[in-house]
Amino acid sequence: MARSMSLVRTGLSWWPALLLATLVLFAVFAPWIVPVDPDRQNLLGRLKPPGFEARGHVFWLGSDELGRDVLSRLIYGARVSISVAFLSVALSGVVGVSVGMLAGYLRGTVETVLMRLVDIFLSIPAILLAIITVAVLGPGFINVILVLALTRWPRYARVAYGQTLALADRPFVTLARAMGASTPRVLFTHILPNIAGPLLVVATLEFGLMVLFEAGLSFLGLGVQPPTASWGSMLSTGRSYVASAWWIATFAGLALFLLVLSANLIGDRLSDQIGKGR
Amino acid sequence: MFRFLLHRGGQALVAAFGVVTLVFFIQRLAGDPTALLLPETATQADIESMRTSLGLDRALWVQYLDFLSDVVRLDLGQSFVQNAPVLEIILSRLPQTLQLAAGALVVALAIGMPLGLLMALTRGRLVSRWIMGVVLACQSMPTFWSGIMMILVFGVWLKWLPPSGTGTLAHLVMPSIALGLLSLATYARIVRSAVIDELGKDYVRSARARGVGTGRLVKHHLLRNSLIPVISITALELSQLLAGAVIVETVFAWPGLGLLTVQSIASRDFLVVQAVVLIGAFVTIGANLAADILYSVVDPRVRLTEPS
Amino acid sequence: MNHVAKGLLTGITLGVLSMPALARDITIDLVGEPSSLDPQVQWNPDSYYVYRNVFDNLVTRDNEGVIVPQIATDWEQTGDTELTLSLRDDVSFHDGEKLSAEDVVFSVKRITDPEFGSPQLGQFNQITNAEVIDDVTVKLTTDGPYPALLSQLVKLSIVPKHVVEEVGKEAFNTAPVGSGPYKFEEWKRGVSVTLSRNEDYWGQAGPFDNAIYRAVPDSATRVANLQAGSADLVVSINSDATLQLQGVDGVQVLSAPTERVAYLGMNLDKPPFNDPDMRKAASLAIDIEGITQGLLGAGEIPVAQLASPAHFGYADGIEPFVYDPEAAKKLTAAKADLAATPANFATAPVFDQRVVQALQQMLNDVGFNVSISVTDMPTYLNIVRSEPADNAELSFGRWSCACQDADGITYPLLHSESLWSRVNEPEFDVLLDSARVSLDKSVREEAYRKVHEMNREQVLALPLYQAAVLYGASSKLSFVPTANESMFLNRMTWSD
Repeated sequence: MARSMSLVRTGLSWWPALLLATLVLFAVFAPWIVPVDPDRQNLLGRLKPPGFEARGHVFWLGSDELGRDVLSRLIYGARVSISVAFLSVALSGVVGVSVGMLAGYLRGTVETVLMRLVDIFLSIPAILLAIITVAVLGPGFINVILVLALTRWPRYARVAYGQTLALADRPFVTLARAMGASTPRVLFTHILPNIAGPLLVVATLEFGLMVLFEAGLSFLGLGVQPPTASWGSMLSTGRSYVASAWWIATFAGLALFLLVLSANLIGDRLSDQIGKGR
Repeated sequence: MFRFLLHRGGQALVAAFGVVTLVFFIQRLAGDPTALLLPETATQADIESMRTSLGLDRALWVQYLDFLSDVVRLDLGQSFVQNAPVLEIILSRLPQTLQLAAGALVVALAIGMPLGLLMALTRGRLVSRWIMGVVLACQSMPTFWSGIMMILVFGVWLKWLPPSGTGTLAHLVMPSIALGLLSLATYARIVRSAVIDELGKDYVRSARARGVGTGRLVKHHLLRNSLIPVISITALELSQLLAGAVIVETVFAWPGLGLLTVQSIASRDFLVVQAVVLIGAFVTIGANLAADILYSVVDPRVRLTEPS
Repeated sequence: MNHVAKGLLTGITLGVLSMPALARDITIDLVGEPSSLDPQVQWNPDSYYVYRNVFDNLVTRDNEGVIVPQIATDWEQTGDTELTLSLRDDVSFHDGEKLSAEDVVFSVKRITDPEFGSPQLGQFNQITNAEVIDDVTVKLTTDGPYPALLSQLVKLSIVPKHVVEEVGKEAFNTAPVGSGPYKFEEWKRGVSVTLSRNEDYWGQAGPFDNAIYRAVPDSATRVANLQAGSADLVVSINSDATLQLQGVDGVQVLSAPTERVAYLGMNLDKPPFNDPDMRKAASLAIDIEGITQGLLGAGEIPVAQLASPAHFGYADGIEPFVYDPEAAKKLTAAKADLAATPANFATAPVFDQRVVQALQQMLNDVGFNVSISVTDMPTYLNIVRSEPADNAELSFGRWSCACQDADGITYPLLHSESLWSRVNEPEFDVLLDSARVSLDKSVREEAYRKVHEMNREQVLALPLYQAAVLYGASSKLSFVPTANESMFLNRMTWSD
């Protein structure tokens, strides 16, 4: 009894990782596993339900508003959704953590300037940054990542700043400094490893959030460019078809939900683990 | 304390000034409102004369100084698009924004706190994990999706609630839930960890040893002590809620500041955007300041950084 | 807790009671809030839907699109540059004051005053003078012969001189006084505008006690509101939304062809579409029937000219474009490198993205290399109006001049002086200029026919179809949608 309980418990903790890994695999191997070209339209076969057969091909998950294969778009959509989230987390993480560590370690004017900059960026509506980036730089995959990074780096900066502040006076840091270690060296070899835990938690939770944000940008017409499929774009067009062609949004929504949920569960698990470690 | 306030208040002003300056210039990178205000058949001369009448033909720095001097005199100017004073437009939207933020906060608190408590009390048990799973699931859906699903289910099929708009308390229910679900997990998590902390303390153990029931314990000690971090996080959440309602307001046709922000950015109604951002900046920075102060009031160990 | 529950319950009851089915009111869901209710300071469809019911115009169009009397009962071209109009003498503004020739002259002078800064100035600035001849007669003078004048006067609302002069521009905008079938009642900023019936209207009265216009930006929400019965009429829905409304009790979908012409704009200064063969290939590549019937299906009509049957200057017998992808492929294969030049396709979210994506696919199928670039409306307008070098290679638009005259669409898109045009052909300029100033209908018709034929041949801009407008409505409402997308409450009826 106790044994099976613990199995269930461990089981619960690894399935999000397994799920995430599966989705990533789908994304990586998309070109080899899709049944047909995800952008191939067929105006005569629009909005057909799952199982519909046309041109010798079965649309297992139905077809969308332009007669494209929902299954193929779902698989290709994994690429965009996952890579946008991953790259924007990476970019905002690198920028934010650097800023936060510098501010927390150097203090003084650097601290004031950088942290006020963080405040400023936190107060600019994300939507404003998004619209202006698209207006000035044009739309597209890279710029979606840029928009997300621009709006999210302050979160990492705050966490990194707080954590660095707490560490800066610790003996191992002051010792390293006294021994003549350069600022980058202290930051990267002594501080970063010690604050990585909480940052990883933030990054994991942000990953889920970025998937949602990409979807939000699609909804506002600022996402990746059509006809490229992303789960967000499928969901935001598909939501107008809920009552007439439920399959367009439902599968994309489910995939997106599972991706975000698994990221959130992993993040939650991580933060529990880190909490225990201290 | 006073010096701290003065210092941080000064910094807040500087930051607000920075935000507004930044927004003033970057939004002008993205074109101006004239194209949208005129018919498609407009000629270059029509566009020029519209630009002149809006004062957009003046040098950028002149416009900027003009704007600053107006702001100092608390004059937010006239909307290009809506032909009304910016202040009037914003004040007309403010009540809806506050209602929605309050509604969302009620949802997040009323569901998040009990769930957090429950998770703490059932810590280590399967049920605790499941509750966390459900809480996290609540924020794993884009609001433009959960919003329209709610509208279809409760507004169209069951006809329990009006699908969109404002006017009655019933109108507030769905947008509040859609927005509140996003903050729910934050509260659940904070209450959980606060209560777990309290549970490990001596007074709780001795109370338990004396045979004090869980219900009594929760009522008299745990909840009250875990309220402290909840209050301080609320300051931060509130500014998030005020800013983060763009999609919820769009879906539910809820005429708050979020919707106004998107619409005025989309129509390049510069002065409205600037005013919304200015107000938003004060709210965000003020909330952060309030949170810092609350931390220090609640927990004297937190030191407030004073200017050296 | 109890309070909250009670509050919720009352809220719900109130919510139910406030649903409009009981009173003879109509709730109309627009996309956005009217930007202004002063008819002379705006150019915005959401304002247009509302204020057209508050004000009368000199002339109007009936449901068939024919120009008919409104405030003007009769008009006569008294010279090449003079139009004399006789006015009704039985019209009063909502405040009880009589509408006079003075008000008409005031309205014309107000909108044509450059200082006033009306967005519609460009549509009326050919009017150089307006004078009162007697109590019921006014004379308009134009700077040259201006055949489209009457079509423009359809949009010229008559405002009361005494009110405007008394309260000023800003106050008039928030509490407009007109002479139309509905009176302005209330504007809850950001929420709704309410009009109430003008019981003393000189013409046909409206069937509703009140009309409530709400701003509902999300089309899925508008459709849901209609289904739930909380809206009686919703605008701006796409044909696929009708699938959701099919079989829903008490709901109907109304549609009509409009005076909007969908077209593919091509950059004539940049490869690949600077080459006539490539433009020809583009015209052969597009399956317009497939788009209008397979995709849109709301009554769109394929056209091969920059005009629709709703325009003066539409020419019968212009050959439709042939859909022949094989022939297109032959043309592109002959200059494969040129055809494969990357081409940006500029568009904005307001345009139907299904059509844009279908066009892209069709062009790429025959060997072009087109990628879509969606930006918000101001950015899109900046791109398509910029110099050829900065301009996108392709753009999709749905042109409306709100005048139903070929001048309003061929001139901006094909004349070298226009901001929109990438065309620089003297032959077109001569024809367009002559058609613009001739008062002889047959001369104008002939000139436009020539323009259409030349454009059909050279494909300087590729006309696609006459767009249709779709409304979702309660089935109790009868409402005839028109080409100029008017929404006159007093032309509607309601049957319980």
